[in-house]
Amino acid sequence: MWFVRFLTSSIGKKLVMASSGLLLFLFLCTHAAGNATIFMSSKVFQSYADELHSHPLIVLVFSLSLLVIFLVHIGVGLYLFNENRAVSTSRYAVSTRVVKNSLASQTMPYTGLFILLFLVVHIFGFTFSPKTVPISVTVKELLGNFFYALFYIVAFAALFLHLSHGFWSMLQTFGVNHPRYNEFIARLTLVFPLFFFAIFAGIAFYFMTGLGANY
Amino acid sequence: MSSINLTLKIWRQANSDALGGLETYSLDGIHTDMSFLEMLDVLNEKLTKEGKDPVAFDHDCREGICGMCGAVVNGIAHGPEKETTLCQLHMRHFKTGDTLVIEPFRSRAFPVRKDLLVDRSALDRIIQAGGYVSVNTGGAPDANGLPIASQRAELAMDAAACIGCGACVASCPNGAAMLFTSAKISQLALLPQGQVERKQRALAMVAQMDVEGFGNCTNARECEAVCPKGISIRNIARLNREYLTAVLSEG
Repeated sequence: MWFVRFLTSSIGKKLVMASSGLLLFLFLCTHAAGNATIFMSSKVFQSYADELHSHPLIVLVFSLSLLVIFLVHIGVGLYLFNENRAVSTSRYAVSTRVVKNSLASQTMPYTGLFILLFLVVHIFGFTFSPKTVPISVTVKELLGNFFYALFYIVAFAALFLHLSHGFWSMLQTFGVNHPRYNEFIARLTLVFPLFFFAIFAGIAFYFMTGLGANY
Repeated sequence: MSSINLTLKIWRQANSDALGGLETYSLDGIHTDMSFLEMLDVLNEKLTKEGKDPVAFDHDCREGICGMCGAVVNGIAHGPEKETTLCQLHMRHFKTGDTLVIEPFRSRAFPVRKDLLVDRSALDRIIQAGGYVSVNTGGAPDANGLPIASQRAELAMDAAACIGCGACVASCPNGAAMLFTSAKISQLALLPQGQVERKQRALAMVAQMDVEGFGNCTNARECEAVCPKGISIRNIARLNREYLTAVLSEG
């Protein structure tokens, strides 16, 4: 069947990674926009969270879809990692990387796995936090802890690295590569990860330093 | 003419089944005007005179257009010079006292036959899987009978510059043959002559590529950096598009 042939081919698997990556990227955009309200005040953030959770069906549908997308991205990613590792380990006595700045592309599976670890911590900290405590209070409490916030900032640095290869790589896999736009895409591949880092790590930093505690 | 003294560490392996290993040779008085392969010739003459087995390596035209030669020199396929095949790499790029580690092009799909000589017929089988191109036979067609925009013709020509040496596979961290396959697919997909079997060709060549045991592309860009013909990964993007279109609409 064409669909099975597509999914089992090397390019098909890459396209699955790229499509799920794009959906996760879009999720990050909405998540960053929503969370950024906390910079206005905890009250604004709380009202955003309350509004969002007053539509339980939407939250449920989106959460479940997100779970599926994550599982696909992680599952296929690990499968590819394992497949490629079988080929790439200790091929040469001397191996030299010719491409400059290949740190991000070389560490994709590792930054990805670190983000997964973060995700587990994050979900248990916030998604499954006691419903009796308002979420804005949970944010203050958890991110007020220096090491908790530091872990968050490190995780967002990993996300930055992951996206600084992932965004360009996704477009390349979709077949977007044209000399007219390549320079622009290279800039976006820096701007988007920086944007997410500024917002997400900014929130962690805001509460880690106690700046956000009174607002 | 100046000359240099080198230490060579070369992969020696008696046959496909034998266990190989690096062996060290010192080679003095190598003229800097020699090519890398001529340097190996000097070594082989020396080994032959000493009654030892010379180092087996592939070569043919020695002018950078046939794609037969190639080895990994200090971790870089075809050595440190950009857009240069091993035969066109000259010893003036090295200095006296250098240690050169010379290993065969490695991939799961490239079994080592002897020393630096690898079996790259997997690449031929990818081309064979591409099948035929439907063209009218008969007298020579009019020169401009088939209009082709010059930019397209240039892009097709850029892709057709691929000599199939396998350096892309050797340098890819995953041993993928995407740059090679994408160049072969692009050169036909860009031209009107390649349209009839376009989708079929993309599907068959990618399927063969996977069967041969090449790895998956992770966009590490190493292939493009070592390619002696400067084939761009823009071709890989084109292959991805070709494959997606074909898989969604063909068969």
